[in-house]
Amino acid sequence: MTKPLVSILDGNTFVVSDNRGDIDPSPTFPTGLFSFDTRFLSKWELTVDGNRLNVLSVDDLQYFESQFFLVPGEPTHYVDAKLSIIRHRTVGGSFVEELTVLNHEDQPVEVTVRLNVESDFADLFEIKDVREKVGGTTVVVEEDRLRLYYQRETFRREAIVTSTAPAEFDRHGVTFALRIGAHQQWQTRLRVETLVEGAGGRDIRLSIQRHQSRSPEELREDLDAWLARAPKLSSDSEPLTETYQRSLIDLAALRYAPLTAGPPLPAAGLPWFMTMFGRDSLITCLQSLPFTPELAGPTLRFLALAQGVTLDDFREREPGKILHEVRYGESTAFEEQPHSPYYGSADSTPLFVILLDEYERWTGDTELVKALEHEARAALNWIDRYGDLMGNGYVWFERRNLRNGLENQCWKDSWDGISYSDGRLPAFPRATCELQGYAYDAKMRGARLARLFWQDPVYAERLEREAAELKRRFNRDFWVEDGEYYALALDTEGGQVDALSSNIGHLLWSGIVDDDRAGKVAEHLLGPRLFSGWGVRTLAEGEGRYNPIGYHVGTVWPFDNSLIAWGLRRYGFRHEAGQIAEAMIAAGRYFGGRLPEAFAGYDRALTKYPVQYPTACSPQAWSTGTPMLLIRTLLGLDPHGEHLVVDPALPVGMGRMELLDIPGRWGLIDAFGRGRAEHSRTPPGLME
Amino acid sequence: MADPTAEFFSRIEEHGPDLLPAKARGRLRFDLDRDGEVEHWFVAVNQGNVLVSREKREADCVVATEKELFDKLATGEAQVLAAYNRNDLTVRGNLPLLLVFRRAFPSPPGTRDPRERIRERFAGRRVAGERERRP
Repeated sequence: MTKPLVSILDGNTFVVSDNRGDIDPSPTFPTGLFSFDTRFLSKWELTVDGNRLNVLSVDDLQYFESQFFLVPGEPTHYVDAKLSIIRHRTVGGSFVEELTVLNHEDQPVEVTVRLNVESDFADLFEIKDVREKVGGTTVVVEEDRLRLYYQRETFRREAIVTSTAPAEFDRHGVTFALRIGAHQQWQTRLRVETLVEGAGGRDIRLSIQRHQSRSPEELREDLDAWLARAPKLSSDSEPLTETYQRSLIDLAALRYAPLTAGPPLPAAGLPWFMTMFGRDSLITCLQSLPFTPELAGPTLRFLALAQGVTLDDFREREPGKILHEVRYGESTAFEEQPHSPYYGSADSTPLFVILLDEYERWTGDTELVKALEHEARAALNWIDRYGDLMGNGYVWFERRNLRNGLENQCWKDSWDGISYSDGRLPAFPRATCELQGYAYDAKMRGARLARLFWQDPVYAERLEREAAELKRRFNRDFWVEDGEYYALALDTEGGQVDALSSNIGHLLWSGIVDDDRAGKVAEHLLGPRLFSGWGVRTLAEGEGRYNPIGYHVGTVWPFDNSLIAWGLRRYGFRHEAGQIAEAMIAAGRYFGGRLPEAFAGYDRALTKYPVQYPTACSPQAWSTGTPMLLIRTLLGLDPHGEHLVVDPALPVGMGRMELLDIPGRWGLIDAFGRGRAEHSRTPPGLME
Repeated sequence: MADPTAEFFSRIEEHGPDLLPAKARGRLRFDLDRDGEVEHWFVAVNQGNVLVSREKREADCVVATEKELFDKLATGEAQVLAAYNRNDLTVRGNLPLLLVFRRAFPSPPGTRDPRERIRERFAGRRVAGERERRP
């Protein structure tokens, strides 16, 4: 029987178990204790007198803490428990489980409590494709601890299990032979430390403050402070309030400190993506800037530090390019995988400039804009040099790592993510439309930075000229006359990859859409082929590859929708932006306020609830950021010089919304909005 | 016999300002072990300028590894962060400084500009943007 999974996490250390708290090795889903992309526990199985336990209830106390109430006996039997067992676990650097056995009888009992413990030290990349390990695992039984370590040449990872109560350790686990008095209880605290070894056998994370084991109390204080710093939302819409609260907590949970130390950054998603992704982290920071601006600065600094300077085909690195993904596991260390770091994305570089500008507009932190001038210019240069592979003024991608590089280096990065309307796949290189929008926006924003902070008006004028030229060409080459929308991409012949896709919504966000065409774009986005009722589909119904449960070819992605809503608002489509926000907030209700990575593109009339995509990550950073960007969009928040403009446009029936203490260069500001009973629509195409 | 490590350090002394960010600043020392004998390379980076000496001096970041591996880093055959993740190279002190200095290591041998390859492949063909607008 498949049991629902329970996860707790602290940065990139996380535990995924079944709802009894047990970890059984699974080849398909990453259950276990993980840290820095390595599985340190693949088995953690509790028995009492040789029997597995049954769950009465599970409490998800905090993102780093959960509690399981268990009894011996089969679930099919009438349970009249003489014993009950509580597993209370936290993760904060190391994994701690407090095990309590309660005797409910009026006489002493003798029981054997045992934990079976194993580690396969699998690299996260190996879970779906388990291979023979090259190195060897050694088990060392000591009087007071069990040590499991893995060694391949100089690469070493170690898990150490200890217990506060007396225990008998053996090669396969730990046993407690107990005698518990009448109505008494017994307790122990098990700790599993995970070591990532560096110089002289020291843990290479010791220098990282965040990864010195933090107690649950410290984690709780940190979470309370995080929540206290964030703006307070009060709203007549309960689902909105719920999803906002959930988002704030999930975003706190997804913060992690990379090996280079420094303040925490947002990781992309549990369980597959608990690391730095350029695209995901940049977009999450853009979404959350009005709420938790503290993430953006460290993200920009980290990405700047790792910016490419030289070429590397295996890692797809180029001068000026911003990274795609960082990994710390064995396969990356031994260069079987390219993530040290991997640079296979064509959008992270313009997005870096976009975030830098947006960050300054909100925070007024001119220091950072000046400090990163060199890197921002290098990123802008990349757009015209290595980004423009074909030498014709667009951003293109084609992988150079033929072993395990990504074929599609845009956000729809599955192999079939980019197709013609008839389903054919275009040749490489490919120039997807949203990349051109990001490039346009990066140039416009780069011009602002050059003029205001780098004292280089000549460069600013050049960037604006190039942006205007790009917009002119783009509107000529990408516009599909018959369908009246923008093509998904251009192929190498200059032909249009003519599928109708959600990417056109990103174009509105970037501002590359000609005003007189915005109305048509909005019509398509909210039309029956793209809009499912729960959101905008990645690919329109009727396209050759459309599949409502295809990862990038028909599902609805919350983050995609949040950018689309923002774009609609930019062009004055207040009502349409509200429609998308409303759909997302309604969908969130079915996931306890936690929007998943993606859900199925079935029509809302067909399914009464949004169907979660089977292997979707949750929580996922840019889904977590979605409610925040939607709130920003609904309230019409936009910095204007030293002020914050508030221009609410709430959907009918949403009632009142208040967002208090919005942080920024203005100090703290409150914003209010109210959904009117009647709604007047702004004429299409009118820029705000 | 050619010494890739010595060539690498002499090259960065000459081209430091082109390779390193203008604001980079700090002292690194590389302790390179060859059959138990350790050679030291001390690198002072100041606003992109690089001074190299063979002294065992105090540094903000001390990198220890085999001379053999460093020769490979110096020619681009090996990559410093993967080596660090493998624990083939150990770092004491300021790790971000090594990340800044990482920029001085060259591309793998034989790496070509990707745009050149595209130009060759599409030589003689018109590409998007050069065409006339289709009817």
